[in-house]
Amino acid sequence: MEQYYFSTSNLCVGYDGRPLIREMEIALPRGEILSLIGPNGAGKSTVLKSIAGQLQLLGGAVYLGKDSLTEMNGKALARKMSVVFTEKVRAELKSCRDVVATGRYPYTGWFGLLSGEDQRIVDEAMELTRVTDIRERDFDRISDGQKQRVMLARAICQEPEIVILDEPTSYLDIKYKLEFLAVLQELRERRGLTVIMSLHELELARIISDRILCLKGAYVERYGTPEEVFETGFIKGLFDIDEDSLSGNERLLAYVRRIGA
Amino acid sequence: MGQWETDAGNRVMEVELKRYRYVAALLFLGMGVLLFFILNVCIGSVDIGVADIVKALTGQIQEETMARILWDIRLPRAAAALILGGALALAGYLLQTFFNNPIAGPFVLGISSGAKMAVALVMVFLMGRAVRVTSAAMIAAAFLGAMLSMGFVLLLSRRIQGMSMLVVAGVMIGYICSAMTELVVTFADDADIVNLHNWSRGSFSGMTWENVRTMAVVVFLACTAVFLLSKPLGAYQLGDAYARNVGVNLRLLRICLVVFSSVLSACIVAFAGPVSFVGIAVPHLVRKLLCTTEPIWMIPACFLGGSVFCLFCDLLAKTMFAPTELSISTVTAVFGAPVVLWIMAKRKRGA
Repeated sequence: MEQYYFSTSNLCVGYDGRPLIREMEIALPRGEILSLIGPNGAGKSTVLKSIAGQLQLLGGAVYLGKDSLTEMNGKALARKMSVVFTEKVRAELKSCRDVVATGRYPYTGWFGLLSGEDQRIVDEAMELTRVTDIRERDFDRISDGQKQRVMLARAICQEPEIVILDEPTSYLDIKYKLEFLAVLQELRERRGLTVIMSLHELELARIISDRILCLKGAYVERYGTPEEVFETGFIKGLFDIDEDSLSGNERLLAYVRRIGA
Repeated sequence: MGQWETDAGNRVMEVELKRYRYVAALLFLGMGVLLFFILNVCIGSVDIGVADIVKALTGQIQEETMARILWDIRLPRAAAALILGGALALAGYLLQTFFNNPIAGPFVLGISSGAKMAVALVMVFLMGRAVRVTSAAMIAAAFLGAMLSMGFVLLLSRRIQGMSMLVVAGVMIGYICSAMTELVVTFADDADIVNLHNWSRGSFSGMTWENVRTMAVVVFLACTAVFLLSKPLGAYQLGDAYARNVGVNLRLLRICLVVFSSVLSACIVAFAGPVSFVGIAVPHLVRKLLCTTEPIWMIPACFLGGSVFCLFCDLLAKTMFAPTELSISTVTAVFGAPVVLWIMAKRKRGA
C-alpha cells in the first residue's frame, strides 16, 4: 500500500447522504495517469469531487501517501492537489492572468501579493497551456475552450503533486486536445505529476492513461490498464452500444443513420 | 531568447501600468474626500471661508458663534458622513461578494430595516424610562437587528435561486421590519416620535463628538479586519470549489463576512438611520473606475468612494432647498437608484 501515491480504501461517495458508488479501491503510483470513463450520470464528477475533498465522503478514506485527505489541513493539501471542475467560474472583471494567479494562493503571504518568482511561475503555466496571448482579456469574454485552458494553467501554477480534472477536454478542438495530452505528458515526466481525470473521449483515454476506471451502477465496473479495459466486448457493455460501430467508418455511419432515423 | 525577454518585459509593464491606475484612482478618490469634506464644513446656513476655518481651529478667532457652528455642528456632521458613507459602501461590497450578487446591499436585503427596528424598539423602551441611550447601546441594538435580518436572508438564500429573487426576498423582510417599526412608533410617546421620526428618515445632522468617536472606533476596527481578509476574499470570488481547493477556510470566511457586513450596516443605522442605495451604487461605480475586483484595492477604494458619495449627497441635502433640509436617503436614492437600474439592464440575460 505504501508505494502508491494516491489510494482509497473502501471509499463510498454520493450526494446528500445517498451513496452513489460504494467500495471503491483505487491505488495509483506517483506519476501515473488515471482516467475515469463511463456513461453520463455514472458518477464520474461525484467521484472526482469526493477525492478532491469537495464533497463529504460517505465512507472509507482517501490517502495521499500515508496521510488521510480528511485530516490534512487546507493549506498543506492546497500545495499538493489542484483541480479543474466543470462548473462555470464567476470572474467579473478579472483578467485571464488574474484568474491563473489565484493558483499561487497557497504560496503567497498574508495579503496575497505575488513575488517576481510567483509572476514567473504564472507566466510559465500560461505559456504551457497556450493562453499567453489572451492574458489581459476579461475572463468572462473568452470562449469555453479558452476558459478550459486558463483554468488548467491555474491548476498548473499551483504546483501540485496531483491534479484532479473533470472533463478537461470537453470544449477543446482537436489541436488543443492533442496539446493538452502533450502538456500532461510533459508535467508527468518533468515533475512526476499524478493525474486523475474523467474523459468522454475513449480514444484519448486509451492513449494517455496508465489505468482506467470504469464506472457504471453502484460499484466500480472495472479497474485496470487500457489493454484490460478495452478488450473486446467490454466497452459495448459499459455504454450499452453496439461495439462494432466503434470500428470502421461505414459501420459507424450506418449506426449514426440508424439512430438518426 | 530575445523575444521571450521582450515579452517578459511587456508583462512586467502591464502589471506596473495597472498598479498605477489603481494608485491614481485611490488618490483621485482621496482628493474627492478632502474636497467635499472642506465644502461640507464651509457651506451651510452661514458660509464660512477656509481661512476663517483655519483661524477658528487654531484658536485665533474671537467670534464665538462661528467657532461653535464649526466645532459643534459642521465638523462632526462632515466626519460622520465621511466615516458612515465609507462603512456603508464597504458593507455593500462585502454583501455583493458574499452573495455573488451585484445588486445586494444592506438596504435592499432588509438588513438596514432590521437594524432600524431594533434601534426603534430600544429607543422607545429606554426613553420611555428616561434612560439616556448611549452610542454603544445603539450600535449593539442595531447589530442585533441586522443579524436577525441577515439570518432570515441567509435562510431564504438557501432555497432561492437567482439574484433578483434574493433581492425581492430581502425587500419583503425590509417591509416586515418597517411595519414593526411603525407599530412601535405609533404607540410611542409624542416626544419620542419627533426624535424617532427625524432619525428614521435618515440624516447626518445632530451628531455629537461622542457619536463620532464611537463610530470611528467601530468602523476603523471593522474595516481593518476586512482589509486583512482581502486575500481569501479574492479567492472566494472565483467560487466555492476553487476557494476550497487553494485552502480557504470557507466556513470561517463566511462567518466573518456576515458579521463584518452586519457591524458596518448596524453602525450606519444606529447613527444616521437607514441610508439607501449607497451600498449598491458605490462599489459598482468604484469597480468601473478601477477596472478590477481585487479586494486589496477595492476595499480602500470602496471606503473612499462611499465617503465622497455621502459627503456630496449630504451637501446637496442641506443646501438644495435651504433652509429646509432633505433626508439623506432622498438624495442618495436620486443618484444611486439609476445606477442600480443600469446594472440590472446590463445583466438582464444573466439574471
